[in-house]
Amino acid sequence: MRGVRRMMPELGVGIGWRPEIAGVVRDLPGLRFTEVVAESLPPDGPPALLAALRDRDVTVVPHGTRLSLGGADPVDPARVARLAAAADALSAPLVSEHVAFVRGGGVEAGHLLPVPRTRDSLAVLVANVRATQAELPVPLALEPIAALFDWPDAEYEEADFLTELLDRTGALLLLDLANVYANARNRGQDPAALLDRLPLDRVAYVHVAGGSEHDGRYHDTHTDPTPPEVYELVAALCARRRPPALMLERDGHYPPAAELRRELDALADAAGYPRITG
Amino acid sequence: MGEPAPDARAELAARQAELVAALVAGGTVPAGFDADDLGVARRALLRKRSGEVRRVWPLLAGSCPDFAATFAQWADGRVPAGALRDGWDLARELATAGTLPPPAAAELAAREATARYDGESAPRRRRLPAVRRVGGAVAVQAFGRVRVSG
Repeated sequence: MRGVRRMMPELGVGIGWRPEIAGVVRDLPGLRFTEVVAESLPPDGPPALLAALRDRDVTVVPHGTRLSLGGADPVDPARVARLAAAADALSAPLVSEHVAFVRGGGVEAGHLLPVPRTRDSLAVLVANVRATQAELPVPLALEPIAALFDWPDAEYEEADFLTELLDRTGALLLLDLANVYANARNRGQDPAALLDRLPLDRVAYVHVAGGSEHDGRYHDTHTDPTPPEVYELVAALCARRRPPALMLERDGHYPPAAELRRELDALADAAGYPRITG
Repeated sequence: MGEPAPDARAELAARQAELVAALVAGGTVPAGFDADDLGVARRALLRKRSGEVRRVWPLLAGSCPDFAATFAQWADGRVPAGALRDGWDLARELATAGTLPPPAAAELAAREATARYDGESAPRRRRLPAVRRVGGAVAVQAFGRVRVSG
């Protein structure tokens, strides 16, 4: 399962597809890669502007947010089936989801929450990931999240927990450098140190985004320009091992097209990939 | 390595339920967690939730003075019901209290005329024409088209 390149060819820089910026995304001449939130896709097929990207050979990766792979309950077969159908509809080479849980006791939390880093929690996570993989037509990439709190009684450090998860499931890694930055900043750690401990040969693609400061913490909200420190992490990652694709996530406070294009250029320059804006 | 032990799922379920309750349903901080950190996460969830309501209820969010604070105060400790129902419940409460601004009253009247909402389950589209009044706003819906006056 080491052949990431067979599952994810080198696609360079991309951007998360959202209806609000669909026109900006369409007008990127060099675009070869985008991602769409799987739960936002209508059951009867992708929106016309997204289907048009697929039809011009842009790789479109469905990105799940509500499978709750780290949840105590077995994964919901209907949700897995929807993710699988999205992969088929978009001819996606892989799909992605989070190392997180999103509901408990029948209550939706409304966001991705961290799982305890214990042996039991890892066993549940591994079982849920394998059950999901068994129903998917394509490989699965897993994304560690930004966490504003930690569970007590951790039995693993973050890098060891993730490495063992990937080893036991054969899953790929979706590395979010904005999450790495947020976690390190909020814990007073060096973000680059985590890069040295993760299996970088498993990285399918990378997320970057900008966040904001509240309550004395950095929140990865995807509503602000990507901060310089995250671009520095992009360069640090690419100096170690350049991932096949990197993409910008924006989920609100959408800026004018020119600003998004400048951000995409900055990302391309930091990674050493060609600019896709013209 | 097959399925995790049944105990593992049951214990994790209990701990995750306790944590989610502390974050969004007014539950107490579970043992061992940092109360300050959970407070930060609780407020972050409220901000995200209010942003989602803002998209679904633009006139409510746009006409309430300091909507983020109004929403956070109302929603803190209240189990999330999704943006449509959260906004609907809040708008009805403000209407009852007589503090719903006119643009938001028009928005609520239009929704009330379009769908039937019992306050407990997903709203269902009305098949018959309806007239609904909220504050000074009157919404008339027929064949799915709504006209609001006032």
